[in-house]
Amino acid sequence: MFRLQGSKVLAVDVTGDAVKAKNGSMVAYDGQMAFKKLSGGGEGLRGMVTRRLTGEQMTVMEVRGQGTCWFADRASEINLVQLQGDTLYVESSNLLATDAGLRTGTTFTGLRGASQGNGLFTTTVEGHGQAAITSDGPAVVLRVSPQYPLSVDPGAYVAHQGNLRQSFQSGVTFRTFLGEGGGEAFQIRFEGDGLVYVQPSERNTIAGDA
Amino acid sequence: MAFREINSKMIEATVVPGQRLFSQRGAMLAYRGEVSFTPNLQGGQGGVMSMIGRRLANEDTPLMTVEGSGTVLFGHGGHHVQLITLTGDTLYVEADRLLAFEGTLQQGTMFLGSQGGVMGMVRGQVSGQGLFTTTLKGHGAVAVMAHGGVFEVPITPQRPVHVDPQAYVAHHGDVRNKLSTALGWRDMVGRGSGEAFQLELSGSGVVYVQASEEKL
Repeated sequence: MFRLQGSKVLAVDVTGDAVKAKNGSMVAYDGQMAFKKLSGGGEGLRGMVTRRLTGEQMTVMEVRGQGTCWFADRASEINLVQLQGDTLYVESSNLLATDAGLRTGTTFTGLRGASQGNGLFTTTVEGHGQAAITSDGPAVVLRVSPQYPLSVDPGAYVAHQGNLRQSFQSGVTFRTFLGEGGGEAFQIRFEGDGLVYVQPSERNTIAGDA
Repeated sequence: MAFREINSKMIEATVVPGQRLFSQRGAMLAYRGEVSFTPNLQGGQGGVMSMIGRRLANEDTPLMTVEGSGTVLFGHGGHHVQLITLTGDTLYVEADRLLAFEGTLQQGTMFLGSQGGVMGMVRGQVSGQGLFTTTLKGHGAVAVMAHGGVFEVPITPQRPVHVDPQAYVAHHGDVRNKLSTALGWRDMVGRGSGEAFQLELSGSGVVYVQASEEKL
């Protein structure tokens, strides 16, 4: 049901089911559609408390109806992710749309989140279906296997899925404090088995200047 | 057709003697041959009256006339460029999105209030188009700028198309448009879905939509 039209527009054929999408990301539709605001972090009172505490306030809308709906977000590149029961970890600002069969939630990321400048929490998507994530420039998908761990610049990290452990790596030496650092003081290290999505652009992070 | 796409952000125009082109002032990147660029004080075609009309309508984007013989490269601000070929029908587009168009096209200004009365004026304000829009009519090619890529959505009488006003670029054909609102109590209490206003286009024709909610 999710189709890419070019690399920057997502076309979704809606047939009565509900698609969740980032607030205000609809650019056009034909047929009959209704838009309703939802909130991230899970449903009900618990979800509300989670949102307040975590600051991971993804404003989502639910799109229902019959027809085709086109989504786009500030001309950023769109990547489709197929989920078969596994979990996708993605920054809420990079999540564009999810299928009706997927659930979204919030998890704690620890130091990694802080180094990305996105806060300490991240959005999880799980279930069976398709999700669309955005990236600044076309994202590359890097495979991580037990023999080959991967280190990623926190500013270029977009999302990951699979059975991965992440740890925080720093290459801070006395040179960094003297302002002579190589500009790559922090990395996120992924170990295990899974996929990591990396964008060819770096967000402004705390670690970016060091 | 006088225009040829070099890549998604640049076009090449062939100028031959006796055929004029109009382009946004300052959008020339390079040229070959003997080509002259004259600033067009009137901001387009028609006489002084049309110039005054455009001034009043705030649709007077500075244009220049391109004449001579040779080839000219056009591009502006790194925006994506979409070529649209008109065969007798009318293109409705905002003046600041026009990169270049052939002199065979007739340029005009349309009052949005004349299409849909008061709601037409409200629509212009909401979509940031202002009260007026530019029309191009006849046979020829137009290069239109947009942020991000452009895609076409065909409009048929059975299937009207709704477009986010901020992502709307241009449309042509026999199309009626009106502002449809999906305002509910949720929007009043600040819990709207961010899609409260949409342009509803019905009839038969094509609408061009950009992959971004940013204006130029």
